Amino acid sequence: MVSNRERVGRMQSDGVISTRQAEMLLASLEPRAAAGREPLFLGLRAGQLLAFLIVAVAIAAIIGLYLLTAGGPAEIQDVAQTLNKAEGHGEMNRTTTSLLAIVLLASVPLLIFALLYNSLVGKEETVLKDWAQVESNFQRRADLIPALVQTVSRYLTHEAETFGDVAEKRSRMTQTLQEEIDGLIKAQRDASEILRGGQANPVEDQQRLDQLFAAQEALKSRIGNVVAVVEAYPDLRSSDQFLELQAQIEGTENRINVARQRFNSAVGRYNASLRMLPWNLVASLGNFKRKAYFRSRDDAENAPDMAFD
Amino acid sequence: MPRTWLSISLIAVICVALAASGYFLFRGPDWPLVRDDAHLMNDAQLERITEFHAYLLHDHDIDYRVVTRNADGDMNSAASRMFAQMSAGSRSASGRGLLLVIDPNANLVRLEIGYALEGVFTDAFAAYVENRQMVPFFQKGRIADGILATTELIVARAQDAALNESFETERWSGGSGGAGATAKARLQEGPATDAGPSPSRTIEASVRTPEETLERYRAAMASRDGRPDLAIYTPDTRKMLSDWVITPAQMDNVARSMRSCTNHETVYSADHRHAVIRYPPDERGCPPYFFAITNGAWTLDLVSMQKLVRFGRSNAWRLGQRRGHTYSFAFRDWRFDSHGFPVADN
Repeated sequence: MVSNRERVGRMQSDGVISTRQAEMLLASLEPRAAAGREPLFLGLRAGQLLAFLIVAVAIAAIIGLYLLTAGGPAEIQDVAQTLNKAEGHGEMNRTTTSLLAIVLLASVPLLIFALLYNSLVGKEETVLKDWAQVESNFQRRADLIPALVQTVSRYLTHEAETFGDVAEKRSRMTQTLQEEIDGLIKAQRDASEILRGGQANPVEDQQRLDQLFAAQEALKSRIGNVVAVVEAYPDLRSSDQFLELQAQIEGTENRINVARQRFNSAVGRYNASLRMLPWNLVASLGNFKRKAYFRSRDDAENAPDMAFD
Repeated sequence: MPRTWLSISLIAVICVALAASGYFLFRGPDWPLVRDDAHLMNDAQLERITEFHAYLLHDHDIDYRVVTRNADGDMNSAASRMFAQMSAGSRSASGRGLLLVIDPNANLVRLEIGYALEGVFTDAFAAYVENRQMVPFFQKGRIADGILATTELIVARAQDAALNESFETERWSGGSGGAGATAKARLQEGPATDAGPSPSRTIEASVRTPEETLERYRAAMASRDGRPDLAIYTPDTRKMLSDWVITPAQMDNVARSMRSCTNHETVYSADHRHAVIRYPPDERGCPPYFFAITNGAWTLDLVSMQKLVRFGRSNAWRLGQRRGHTYSFAFRDWRFDSHGFPVADN
């Protein structure tokens, strides 16, 4: 398995890309560090800390009540003292029952709060997990760029060496390819910068996500343009090596599409919960923020066609 | 006390009954392995595919579903959705699911790969089996044969993966993330005009030994030269091949298989008009090759091989008929088990 660094190095030494392009491409291909919500204390987030405190107080209350009512040495009730005496039996039991009832009544809201809180955490985690999948597929797409550029440019070089008499055509195609490669590397850099920019997770910033979508669409279009250069070369187009690469590109685009749809569905479910009672009450305590959609103008229909006959 | 126990038992029974009815009400339909909504195949073909895919599930724990689609809309999204709806992979203990969707309206075919199989069946492999194996059959309208021929390649890849321990053992989750490939199905469009690099007509029959003919056959397969009229074949073989669909993937497979079979021995008939190149019996994936003299040259008799040599599910060869045929002279010193598999003498 050839690493991106090796591949880019080879492309640079072959003269396919310049030093500046190589640096730009390598910088954009570094995987982005995973971003998440900032922990508040000992790795716990605000809502988790609150839930932890509530549960701790509830446990302390139950232990306290136990010690007050049932703690200490066991006492044996003298049944003879209370038997057949109206209102005269079970005084201690009634006190215990009342206290237990109070504890139970107090526990129910706490339990409901915990359940609602956990359900919101679950939905938020699904959103973050689905976004990680989208990002992973972006990285997959980025990793294909050096392989694509190398395959196409190597073939053109080979063809130029084999058919030296078509110098004019070679020169024109090489220039077109160079322009497309330059545009592709710039598009990759732009998409990468948006993804890495800012401290917060992009899923909480609609404007940033819109910018990222536009940048990724531009990158996709650039990949399509480089692939289109191959249209002029039937031998390369029908070669197993190029078909393999084409399958990887198409497969990655489909993965991105599926991941994007799942992310948007997860965001929809999560955002709807934030507006609904009683989750919105819990959300205000737990610092849950509305998530952004990865919006598409019209993906499938307007996507550049990278499939060949 | 008995009343208390009676109440508890009653509540338990009601809970179990509710849980059971909930399971049967909400578990969804039980999807078959093959579903032909577009009516592209007959019952016998559906049964054959179902049987073959049941073997795949049994032998390799791969839940491979096939659907022919009769609906509009984006094929790729539909395949991903159907994978989830059908719970492809749920019959596999390790969540290994595959889904083949054929859409005659859009003239597309898609092989969707589940998460657990992404490492073994890559997008490139999916595209390869579709374009180089399935589509040539579809072009002649042989839908079921195209599906079965593709399943053979899937079995071969699964066997390799099992040998090399390439199967994912940690990610047991079902579902798919959009992996796989979509290809133009070219249903009934007629034979392909572009089946790979154009071969040169340098394969002649004037060869003195069966080994030379076999080497020329291997060279033809390696260069994907599927022409049925090559001089290396007997006249009957040429006739038979002219009706066959020979796909690039099949030729790749033959060339690959032949490369790994090197330790051969040539046995001639008493009149020196027939010959067999055979490999040691423990090399189960290396079948014998049959040759006959045609116009003074050794030619490959694929017709007899087709009749006599059979392959099992594990890709091991066996003889369908052990005695009373033209090439039985080559196996007189070998032992075979009751199924026709050669037995190695250790």
